[in-house]
Amino acid sequence: MSIIGDVIESTKAIIKGMGVTFSYIPKGKWTVEYPDEPVTVQPRYRGQHLLHVDEYGREKCVACFLCAAACPSECIYIIAKDDPRSPMERIGIEERYAEVYNIDYGRCIFCGYCVEACPKDAITHGYNFELSVYNRADLLKTKDDLLITKQVQSRNYRVASSEEDVDSEYKEV
Amino acid sequence: MSTELIKVTINGKEFQVAKGARLIDVCREQGFNIPSFCYYADLALQASCRMCLVRIEKMPKLQTSCTITCTDGMVVTTESEEIEKAQRAMVEFLLANHPLDCPICDRGGECELQEMAFDWGNLEERFTERKNAQPEKYLSPIVANDPQRCILCKRCTRVCDEWMGEDAIEAGGRGANTVIGTFGGWLNCSECGNCIEVCPTGTLLDATYRHQARPWELQQTVTTCTYCSDGCQESVGSRAGEVMRVVARDRYVNGHNGEFLCIKGRFAHTFINDETRLRTPMIRYKKGGKLIPATWDEAVKFATRGLDKAAEAHGANSIAVVGSPRLTNESLYALKKFATELVGTENYTATDAFSLSPFFQNLGGQIATHRDIRHAKTIVLIGGEPEELQPFAGKQIRQAVRNGGAKLVIINSTPIRLKERATQFLHINPETEDAAVLAIFNQAHNELAARKMGVQETELIELRRTITNTEGDVVIMFGGEVSAEAQSLLAQMPYLFNKEGRRALLHPLPLYNNSVGATDMGLMYGKLGATEMLDAAGDSVHAMYVAGSFLPQHLTGREDSLGKLDFLVVQELFETETTRFADVVFPAASFAEADGTFTNSGGLVQRVRQTIPPVNQSKQDWVITAQLSKELGVDFGFQMSASAVFGEIAERIPAYAGLRYPLLKDETNPVQVKHATIEQRDLSQESEAIRARVEKMSDTATKINATPPVGHELFKIGTLTDKLPQMHLLASGNPKPPTLAVSPLYQITVDAGMKREAIGGD
Repeated sequence: MSIIGDVIESTKAIIKGMGVTFSYIPKGKWTVEYPDEPVTVQPRYRGQHLLHVDEYGREKCVACFLCAAACPSECIYIIAKDDPRSPMERIGIEERYAEVYNIDYGRCIFCGYCVEACPKDAITHGYNFELSVYNRADLLKTKDDLLITKQVQSRNYRVASSEEDVDSEYKEV
Repeated sequence: MSTELIKVTINGKEFQVAKGARLIDVCREQGFNIPSFCYYADLALQASCRMCLVRIEKMPKLQTSCTITCTDGMVVTTESEEIEKAQRAMVEFLLANHPLDCPICDRGGECELQEMAFDWGNLEERFTERKNAQPEKYLSPIVANDPQRCILCKRCTRVCDEWMGEDAIEAGGRGANTVIGTFGGWLNCSECGNCIEVCPTGTLLDATYRHQARPWELQQTVTTCTYCSDGCQESVGSRAGEVMRVVARDRYVNGHNGEFLCIKGRFAHTFINDETRLRTPMIRYKKGGKLIPATWDEAVKFATRGLDKAAEAHGANSIAVVGSPRLTNESLYALKKFATELVGTENYTATDAFSLSPFFQNLGGQIATHRDIRHAKTIVLIGGEPEELQPFAGKQIRQAVRNGGAKLVIINSTPIRLKERATQFLHINPETEDAAVLAIFNQAHNELAARKMGVQETELIELRRTITNTEGDVVIMFGGEVSAEAQSLLAQMPYLFNKEGRRALLHPLPLYNNSVGATDMGLMYGKLGATEMLDAAGDSVHAMYVAGSFLPQHLTGREDSLGKLDFLVVQELFETETTRFADVVFPAASFAEADGTFTNSGGLVQRVRQTIPPVNQSKQDWVITAQLSKELGVDFGFQMSASAVFGEIAERIPAYAGLRYPLLKDETNPVQVKHATIEQRDLSQESEAIRARVEKMSDTATKINATPPVGHELFKIGTLTDKLPQMHLLASGNPKPPTLAVSPLYQITVDAGMKREAIGGD
């Protein structure tokens, strides 16, 4: 095969390839303008965990350890404690509460088994996904980071309503 | 039970079973799973849970298999639609009033009701009525109670009655209103916690472990208890290097004690992870100065230098080596080896309350294990108070009398609680136990002994008749009250009473978990006893190496003896009276952090297994001894493995010949040490010495008439039990708190030393 033949063949290929590129330029963009615009997440999105409280502000968690038992990556660490005070003075809804409740996000795989296991609906997945830190040790989140009354929520997301088709926001269907 | 075999058909299969066997046991042995709550093999029958129903041909209704004795030709069906329907209905009834609070219940995960509900429970509950809610409460500082969870199997009340003989916990009310409760709402018993152990639900719970951990995340290690000489097998639950609880539940451990434990074994384990445990080795550089933390290397060097100096100045015999009957056989053996082979001293001992060496030097028969006591036909108890000091032996005696029909003869100067069960109680004058031994040994002394003991001569004749009329085992038990000579006479008694069809067995009642082991290892055969050694301090003994501590009874009146020493090395768990004068203190590992063996009062050698890694910088006692000897230039060759030490014990000590750790693996079949039997010998010298002593006793001594209160020994605060805050409440009379809803610990402050301060309850 001659050199001229080679040149013709490769020029054809480049034109064909660039044709695909140019054909997409006038179409709508798929890019998510994060963090300038909030990201829309699915209602069932599994972000950072939330520890819930009841209507009186008492923690729902009774430190039953079922989440820790269900966790496949063993990232939940709990220390249970007895709280002998009267129901309204208590930290939690029952006599038993979690003195320490840690989740190691270096290990968590966001499988949601803990949420499924919880008999008191005390732990759910929130929507916070900005979990990157500068120090590996900071991946360990304590009760202060997880409690719904204390967790700082990012402003960079929007939860879609249940009827909304989130995927169509990014794609031309 | 006879050995005659009969034919029983279960689910279409024929089986040959022993006549008189219980149907539920037979079915379970043959692999047919029969659910039950109230059936407990060791206890009287209850048949209240109705879970073990079976269909027996020619019987009109379903029958409870726990109350049926197998008969010849019986045809049984254990699984059918009809039976399952009945069982499911029973579980539905049980759950009708049971709260669904498994997440906060401490029993969750090892609850028999939970397991039964998985197999026999329905998916949906049909009862929509309100549950009969009752508040949780405390029955004592260590027993928590949630009445709503109760399924009324009455295991707890039966255990309290049959095992403990206390009837402290009972069922009150009728029908649906029946509740398990106590007299006056507050438990004033020996707080053994066996009701907690046998409870199939979370009705009775361990208040010291309340809401601390869940059973599935605890690492269960089978080990031997460190308190009394019974050597109960227990399962220590630990998590992340911390001991959380101790249980003897069948699912974890099957020792000779079954599910029995006492208050100390079950609850007083908090000393293991106590904050006041010694953290590092410490050196006192100047006499009267402070103990200053040091590294292991420094401390070992300092200790060996001090011992060397003493040996050079005053000779090897000026160094005394003192062990403790709480240590493992391995540690005691290492100490003995250190004393005899390395230092070459004749002064070694163990800090036991009394020495058993005369007993073992004259042993003429077999030692009774706790199983032998349970099945004995006659039990003679001389001195001692097993229900307080050896609770498991006490339980075996009670069961032997109650369930086995044994005759119990008690010879004691105090009307101990066990006398309620006795066939004959010889209430003797204080300190005349020796006279009783003399009379039993030789009836020629009956008249003298009866006079000094303050009893009728006929009582002694009756006692002898009880022994000589026995068909089966006679167990002679004795406490620390008897003298050394009397121990020799007791040890030779099997030669007097052994006959065709009768066996005389002996059972000493020492106070510590390894008192027998300390004697076996040879540590009790030194020249001086513990008190004599303290008296000789500064005189012929100039340096001392103590593993453990001297007992308060050794130190009373000799508080400053240890200060007279030139050099004192101590290895201990805590700072004690003994470490007060120590020049070097090593932090030692407790039983939960050590590997080894204990030998109990029945001669059973049982394993101690490492549950958690050594706390702080502590090391096992024999490791410290081996390190000291290495620094002194002699390598014991232990290769840092407890099994190597035990191998050497098996080689050198005849009673332990042939034993290895793998042979001791199975706690269900413990191995008895083969103590050498001494041939019958002339004991006239000893009996003459006792007779001379007895003759000097007063004829008109006043008797002790008051029965000692429950727990007068059990609740005593020692170095180890001191670390359990609840023990202080019990020791100060177990006061009933203003409200039962909150743990008494939060309500009553006994003294300033208690760690948890009282906070307001609701």
